[in-house]
Amino acid sequence: MKVNSEKIENCQIALNIEAEADEMEKTLDETYRRLRRKASISGFRKGKAPRAVLEQHIGKDTLLNEALEQLVPQLYKQAIELEKIKPVDVARIEFVQKEPLIFKAIVPLHPEVKLGEYHDVRVKLEPVKITAKDVKAAIENLRQERAVLLPVERPVQLADFVTINIKATVEDKSFLDHKDLVYEVNDKSNFPLAGFAANLVGMKKGEEKSFNLEIPDDYSIKEFCGKECHFEVVVTEIKEKQLPEVNDEFAQSCDYADLAQLKKQVKAYLKAAADERSRRQLRQKAIEAVVELSHVDYPPIFEDREIDAFLRDEARRLGYHEVEDYLKRINRTGKELRQELQPMAKKRITNTLVLDKVSEEEKIEISPLEVDNKAKEILGKAENGEKMQEFLATPQVRESIERTLLHDKTIDLLAQIASGTHGEGNKERGVDK
Amino acid sequence: MHLYEVLRRPLVTEKTTLLKEEDKYVFKVANGATKHQIKEAVEKTFNVKVTKVNVIIVRGKTKRMGRREVTGPSWKKAIVGLEPGNKITLFEGV
Repeated sequence: MKVNSEKIENCQIALNIEAEADEMEKTLDETYRRLRRKASISGFRKGKAPRAVLEQHIGKDTLLNEALEQLVPQLYKQAIELEKIKPVDVARIEFVQKEPLIFKAIVPLHPEVKLGEYHDVRVKLEPVKITAKDVKAAIENLRQERAVLLPVERPVQLADFVTINIKATVEDKSFLDHKDLVYEVNDKSNFPLAGFAANLVGMKKGEEKSFNLEIPDDYSIKEFCGKECHFEVVVTEIKEKQLPEVNDEFAQSCDYADLAQLKKQVKAYLKAAADERSRRQLRQKAIEAVVELSHVDYPPIFEDREIDAFLRDEARRLGYHEVEDYLKRINRTGKELRQELQPMAKKRITNTLVLDKVSEEEKIEISPLEVDNKAKEILGKAENGEKMQEFLATPQVRESIERTLLHDKTIDLLAQIASGTHGEGNKERGVDK
Repeated sequence: MHLYEVLRRPLVTEKTTLLKEEDKYVFKVANGATKHQIKEAVEKTFNVKVTKVNVIIVRGKTKRMGRREVTGPSWKKAIVGLEPGNKITLFEGV
């Protein structure tokens, strides 16, 4: 075997491997011995056909290809040992010629990650402030939720809820046919068509009305686009939405002692939600900034794996066993979709690699105990406990949990750095350089 | 009988493959072919020198088809010895 290697872009090495004639012959012979046991050729007992006859029978190419299937991985393994290469994934093999055998193996190597000065990363966030206006808006929402519908004896107004019988036709074809449909009279609504609500306004209880509306050209049902629609509507009931007064009573109906208490609670809740949002934003921005500073180089096969995993998850989540079924369902070819997913995969990989590197630099580790705790937490939420327990005990799952925790911790650290709260106290490095 | 009609096909079996070592080649030949005709046919077609021709009539197998016994067709096999060093290369295929 002759090998020479050259480094090519994206953390890959190209190995040019050439097989010697005797290696080739040896493998061919082995393959012949293997195949002849199975080949049944008339005139010969099984396993007794001479090589020439077998070659004629199954074709010389078949024998050759069969032999290559053995020889190529074997030579590849030798070459890797010889060149002291540590591949992270399977190599891509390209044949230059088959006889004598020369082939090229493109070996993906460990990704290279160069972190920037991530200790200097600072992210500024808008300080969280809950104003009286926000509280008021939240309480207004609560009012809307607790509103009651009361029947009224007057013509329809905007913002009323009406019960209607509706029959709509387009050129004698049925468009809509509902009985006792509860409809909110809202002149901004496009259901069933724009302008429908305006036609209802002013109608009395029990009144019948028929009118025509034009269906817009961009309507979702092609058949009806641009045509006239005839409506026949009977109003059977008119209800008004009544919002509760904002007072202590209202607060009590929401399980609070009085209005002041309610306001306080709403404010606290809003504050917590906003804090959580800004915490997430900080983490997000911190990662982005650190990734921005870093230089990441990885072999393209990573992207393929990532996309594969994503599609598999997606398919499983939607209840398909095979990715192909899923693709067929959403009517997409794998190639197209993969191209679309590529930027996402790239981002995910870069993030992961950067986080891995940071955790390595910072010596962040996750103990088995932490994994156990997390597993218990997940188990607590799970519905089918026993199955979940089994699932959680598998090494792959544990590893995945560990990785998630590790990344989580790392992001926490980055967020601390970015907000400038890290390093106060014992750790001094990197801060205030 | 025309020379072209004499040789029907080469016989490739375990046994005939072994016989090749002794420069003997085996053919299925026309039922009416004589040793002389076989010799001439082999010499002309493959451009070799024949030293010996042995023929055997292979009896057709009898099979039972219900109550009747049916005999398959008999055929003639010729084992052709060549002068040492002469080869028939076509022989590998069927």
